[in-house]
Amino acid sequence: MEKEPIIMNDGLDGLFEFVDTDSFESEKITAPRYSYWKSVGRVFFRKKSNWVFLGILVLILFMSFVWPLFQPFSLNDPANENLLHPETFNNSPAEYFMSHPFEFKYILGTASNGDSLWNKLWTASRTSLSLAFICTIINMAIGIVLGAIWGLSKKFDLIMTQIYSIIGSIPSVLLFSVLSYVIGVGFWSFVLALTVTGWLGIAFFIRTQVIIIRDREYNLASKTLGTNIFTIAFRNILPFMISVIVTLIATELPSYVSYEVFLSYIGIGLSANDVSIGQMINAASTSWMIRPWQFWPPVIVSAVVSIVLYVVGQNVGDASDPRTHM
Amino acid sequence: MTDNNEKDVIISLRNVDISFGRGKKAFKAVSNASFDIYRGETFSLVGESGSGKTTIGRAIIRINQCSAGEILFNGQRISGKLSHSLEREVIRKIQMVFQDPAASLNERATIEYIISEGLYNFHLYENEKDRIEKIEKIIQEVGLLPEHLTRYPHEFSGGQRQRIGLARAIVMEPEFIIADEPISALDVSIRAQVLNLLKKFQKEKGLTYLFIAHDLSIVRFISDRIAVIHKGDIVEIAPSEELFNHPLHPYTKSLMSAIPVPDPLIEKNKELFIYDQSMHDYSINKPQLVDIGNGHFVFGNEEEIEKYKIERGEK
Repeated sequence: MEKEPIIMNDGLDGLFEFVDTDSFESEKITAPRYSYWKSVGRVFFRKKSNWVFLGILVLILFMSFVWPLFQPFSLNDPANENLLHPETFNNSPAEYFMSHPFEFKYILGTASNGDSLWNKLWTASRTSLSLAFICTIINMAIGIVLGAIWGLSKKFDLIMTQIYSIIGSIPSVLLFSVLSYVIGVGFWSFVLALTVTGWLGIAFFIRTQVIIIRDREYNLASKTLGTNIFTIAFRNILPFMISVIVTLIATELPSYVSYEVFLSYIGIGLSANDVSIGQMINAASTSWMIRPWQFWPPVIVSAVVSIVLYVVGQNVGDASDPRTHM
Repeated sequence: MTDNNEKDVIISLRNVDISFGRGKKAFKAVSNASFDIYRGETFSLVGESGSGKTTIGRAIIRINQCSAGEILFNGQRISGKLSHSLEREVIRKIQMVFQDPAASLNERATIEYIISEGLYNFHLYENEKDRIEKIEKIIQEVGLLPEHLTRYPHEFSGGQRQRIGLARAIVMEPEFIIADEPISALDVSIRAQVLNLLKKFQKEKGLTYLFIAHDLSIVRFISDRIAVIHKGDIVEIAPSEELFNHPLHPYTKSLMSAIPVPDPLIEKNKELFIYDQSMHDYSINKPQLVDIGNGHFVFGNEEEIEKYKIERGEK
């Protein structure tokens, strides 16, 4: 098309020229490509305190899962050189090093049969963390799947809501004590006790979230395109729940660590043969005034693990909400 | 509606009632709706908010259930329970463009997945290469770029998103598209863009549209025939120009009088015609949708229909 010349009389002749309009050019997006998980990482690491908390978490995980491989610990280990020397039992670090040469593993003193308290602490931490991770994985897996069905199916909702209100009204401590009498105490029976009803609360939470997202218009659009309900759950609803699921994990993980401490303390947790944070606190609690070096380390580890897991989890949860990705 | 046999009817509503809730709380959103949509035309439904336009559209696409009557698609009943194969066929051949382009796209899926979703469900491609070709072709047809396929919906403007919504409907190669206020949420400057795309696809692919809107100037531009709906009753159906030149039902007249005139002097002195439902006395004589010639149907009782016929004849 011929363009009409514009007469300019303000001395700008030659400074301006016509450009062609390119309709495709105007559709271009110049912003860098968006990647969900990269943005999650970027937002998480933007906060300096997260580096510190993540560092502590990695350190604790390393000490709990790698350290015991090099310094194995078991109760009544025949390899324990102090077993035949009762004078080394229940020694504080100062007491111990007065009569023995310095050895790193006795830095926290000794336990009731001369064991290294340091090695015992990390083996105990491994037990407690494994327990928390296994229970969280089982409960989250059952909870998310059933919660999704619960939220999507109206028939299932009627039944499940009744089950929830009946089982939810049983005090959990009562349930644990009955179960520990019936199936005994030990690591796996403890896992069973924590997962037999533990998923119910998670499923109810997921159900509520699913109901919020379920009736949004884009799900209707997927339905009119013939998408089946499983694909809708997996592709349309689940991605919106990553943030709430991570936040939920962040509260679940520390809660199992504290549960273990609490239940071991009242005597229905792990057996006395298991080395766990709860058992260590339980054993030291009666004499914590006279042997504080046996009491405080497991308490501190339990508290730090809970706080760090919670803070890191909450921050990953926040970072996985795309509204923070600006 | 028997004298239109020579035209190919694609969608036919027969005495459709749609109600929400049960028993005493039941609310009738649409009552006794009957109309035909012919192949290749654009049929518009206009009416105020809450009049039941969207409900009818959603009943055709089987999101809402009919409580009475039936809906036919190519002569086959598509309301109520269907066989699996027929249901799949209906889902593929009837598509919908939604009102809100921000709410109707999955924010956590790429444009590639959004457009391919229907193709995946019906396996409408030979192989992966064919699928990519199909979606690249359609995205260019709606004026976007193939490089957009890896992007997410929040990176697009409202008009671009609505074109993505259109692309995912068109790529299914449907026969009939329900456009539920597709431009109401868009900026005025890009409404024409989407309307022109709708027209272009209609011409190229012989599509039939049910266009749901409340903006009469746009309806006049795009439609072949228009149905006016008021509080669940269809009060008037007529070809586009016939309706604008000879509005008969008082509700249609009130709608016409509300169209803004781009002249402040006329607009200021314009007298609005306000429709009051109580002007009809339907206690003895029940109203019906009656054909009064020229493809013009009006809702009224015998007495009113006589009046409308005379009014139409005089003009």
